[in-house]
Amino acid sequence: MSDRLKVVLRIALPSLAILLLTLIGSLLSSYWQYVFTISIGATIIGVALVMLVGYARCITIASGAMMAIGAYASALAVLKMGWSFPLALLVGLAFGALAGYVLAVPAVRFRSHNLAMVTLVFQEVVIIFLREAKTLTGGAEGLNVAAPVIFGMVVKSDIANLLMTGVASAAIILPLTVLLYGPFGKNLRALAANEVGARAFGISPRNYMIAAFVISSAAIAFAGAISAPRFRIVDPDSYGVLSSIFMLAYPIIGGMNSIWGGLMGGGVLRILPEVLRPLADYLELIFCVLVVLTVMYFPGGLVELVSRAVAKLRTGTNKDSPPDEVVLDSADTRAAMVRAMPPAMPRTDEAAGSPALSIEGLSKSYGALQAVKRVSIEVGAGRLHGLMGPNGAGKTTLFNMVTGFTGADAGSVSSFGRDLAIVPVEQRVGLGIARTFQHVAVFPSLSCFDNTIIGLGRNPVRATMRRSLEAAYGGASVGEERDAVMAALDAVGLKRLALQPAGSLSLGNQRRLEIARAIVSRPRLILLDEPVSGVGADEAGHLRELLLAINRELGVTMFIIEHNIGFLLSLCDRLTVMSYGEIIAEGEPNEVVSAQHVRSAYFGDKDAA
Amino acid sequence: MSEFLMVIIGGLASGAVYALVAIGVVVIHKATKTVNFAHGGFVLLGAFAAYLIVVQLGWTYWAAYVIVPLLIGALAMAIEMAILRPLRKADLFTVITATIFIGIGLSETYRLSYNTEILSMPKPIAGPPFVFGEVILTPAQLWVGAGALAAGLIGLLLFSHARIGRSMRAMASNVRGATLCGYSVNQVYALAWFMGGALAGLAGVFAGPSKGISPDLAVAMITAGFVGAVIGGFDSLRGALLGGLLLGLAETFAAAYVSSAMKSAISFLLLFVVLLWRPDGLFSERKIRDV
Repeated sequence: MSDRLKVVLRIALPSLAILLLTLIGSLLSSYWQYVFTISIGATIIGVALVMLVGYARCITIASGAMMAIGAYASALAVLKMGWSFPLALLVGLAFGALAGYVLAVPAVRFRSHNLAMVTLVFQEVVIIFLREAKTLTGGAEGLNVAAPVIFGMVVKSDIANLLMTGVASAAIILPLTVLLYGPFGKNLRALAANEVGARAFGISPRNYMIAAFVISSAAIAFAGAISAPRFRIVDPDSYGVLSSIFMLAYPIIGGMNSIWGGLMGGGVLRILPEVLRPLADYLELIFCVLVVLTVMYFPGGLVELVSRAVAKLRTGTNKDSPPDEVVLDSADTRAAMVRAMPPAMPRTDEAAGSPALSIEGLSKSYGALQAVKRVSIEVGAGRLHGLMGPNGAGKTTLFNMVTGFTGADAGSVSSFGRDLAIVPVEQRVGLGIARTFQHVAVFPSLSCFDNTIIGLGRNPVRATMRRSLEAAYGGASVGEERDAVMAALDAVGLKRLALQPAGSLSLGNQRRLEIARAIVSRPRLILLDEPVSGVGADEAGHLRELLLAINRELGVTMFIIEHNIGFLLSLCDRLTVMSYGEIIAEGEPNEVVSAQHVRSAYFGDKDAA
Repeated sequence: MSEFLMVIIGGLASGAVYALVAIGVVVIHKATKTVNFAHGGFVLLGAFAAYLIVVQLGWTYWAAYVIVPLLIGALAMAIEMAILRPLRKADLFTVITATIFIGIGLSETYRLSYNTEILSMPKPIAGPPFVFGEVILTPAQLWVGAGALAAGLIGLLLFSHARIGRSMRAMASNVRGATLCGYSVNQVYALAWFMGGALAGLAGVFAGPSKGISPDLAVAMITAGFVGAVIGGFDSLRGALLGGLLLGLAETFAAAYVSSAMKSAISFLLLFVVLLWRPDGLFSERKIRDV
């Protein structure tokens, strides 16, 4: 119960802090009430940009335009439609969401600088439109905004403004916090850290980035709508590209990886021009210097400085993290732990007798180079099937076609009778197909627990939003997911490290974590891309035991690419050898590797030498 | 017909300045893999330095053409060494945000040191306009167009033929290979920033008289430089040159035949269309994936 309380408190705390700030402000003079009002309004923008800039890592220079859209839409709703102010706020929010969608659909095709440029295009076009559509927007002179009326009361005094802004900000920040702390925020971070790894477990980059744009734009537009009446006039120049760039500084200086960073960044930076009037001229320059210093020396921003200072005050009480090693169990214990995993969901689409993986006539060319030539492989259910071949044999190209990351020129891939050509990468985990990566693709800033929970594959955007809500109020699925994740971590021997960030693990343990992530959804087929590359001989032996136990206890079929021939021989029950894009041998592993033509593919012909 | 010709020549003249900016952006990106959002700030400071030399000191424009590129090149190099070198291991996101704020910082420095709305400069050469039938062109227009184009071509030749260009191209295609061949990463990066900065400074000297000097110049020029670079495929100097010229033409046509609002919007629309329709640029050959 106290754990539940902790979760709820953690999510509610930012909103409670805003309310507390509102309360403190209301006790101060009217000047400070005004300062607190704009500070609190800016916290919305800070948190919204933590989602888009910090978590999703999209550089946006369109925040000014989004604020303008919220401000104009709500002002026009009151002015032209005669709607009430609370309703007009929602209109601003809705227009912001719409604008976020319009911007995101073309923008998310790009990353880094091109994405930033598309947001700049949006920013400039919106401002040009506001300036030119004079009959609607009043052109460069802008619109007069009436004082808001809420339930018959006119909000005019500083204290009324503060209360209105405080309550509205707390209300809008709460759902943002639910999403950011929940699986939605974790999936965004996973996506930003390793797009390929995230896609393999059902996180669609396009859908997630669009969602981040829509949500954060809606929140920023809301902030624009609620702050507009205080300025009495909204005009295009207040929302220009410079304002967008300075808003970009909020999450960066405050701390991009934390909601509190957004709160602090927005809350503190927005009021600097007010409280540092004598330095007003130099503020923009100070902003720039602060941002550059932050990215150079304190990438975690203000919030990290604060938490470090707090940690220093509390030295002695901090717990040591458990050592980054695996307790080695006997093969029997390991098998028992694997067996202890919750049972797989019954699958109804099982076509009886069809192979777990069937590759037929698969081909791929790059220019004149034919990397893979009409390769066919069949992997029977429950098998441990290895694929080896010298460098340049086309193994990786084949693997990428099987996993769906590279399109094939010809041929087909199917699993349990289902043609995979039409199944997007993001949906394959749902079919009971999981994979691991040659270059480990764990999400370094997330804990082992959070890495593994992504492996469950319950990651479509809407489902994830629902799960975020459930995580906040403690729905039934939360406990079930936790049990599945802990069982998977226990099976690979990482239970003790469940709360450690994945990036702090040794390479061998990161490979174990990838296996936990691959088995937690209880797949039927796991595709392993060089599972022991870069780990020592001892560790390779342990990993082999683990894979054998998983195969035996859970009946999972495995298709393994590996350079380490000894590893393949001791693991697999069937082996295929590729050379120059073609299969040159297939069969019982020991027989295959002793065949003369396989040896000469690896070591060259004796006669030639 | 004559109006049409005037629009074309006028467009090419302003396009030549954009081309110079775009080439600078591409030189830096090609050699160092950094997209320099501070480039507009370099152009602005270049124009400002030219103002100081020509108006405050009363020297000739020739002095500005020589001194300003050296000055802005040195500034760019200093920024590379002081700020971007420590960030070399950081991700793209960090570097881009850093250059965005460096750019704003440069414009702010200008605004603080010369707090006026807009500074205007004398024309680089005076004289009666040339009249070809009904086509009227000012000498200044022709001078700027031809000068910027010549400077752009020199930059292009330096990069593709001279020894320093070879080191940058080597670094662009393979950092480790180039290092093994004895090129120093630090030297080549500093050199690329110097060259990019020098081109931006020169663009400032050319742009100052016709566009006036204000922080808006920085935003206008970074946009123009990016549009030119994107049209050219971002990694092709020749593409950037053509891209800049194309943008100049598009703007001038929009101003002449549509509206002034269209003139300010056209560069953004062009950027948008090219990014969506041909993200590899209009002129670049399709890259063949190396296996």
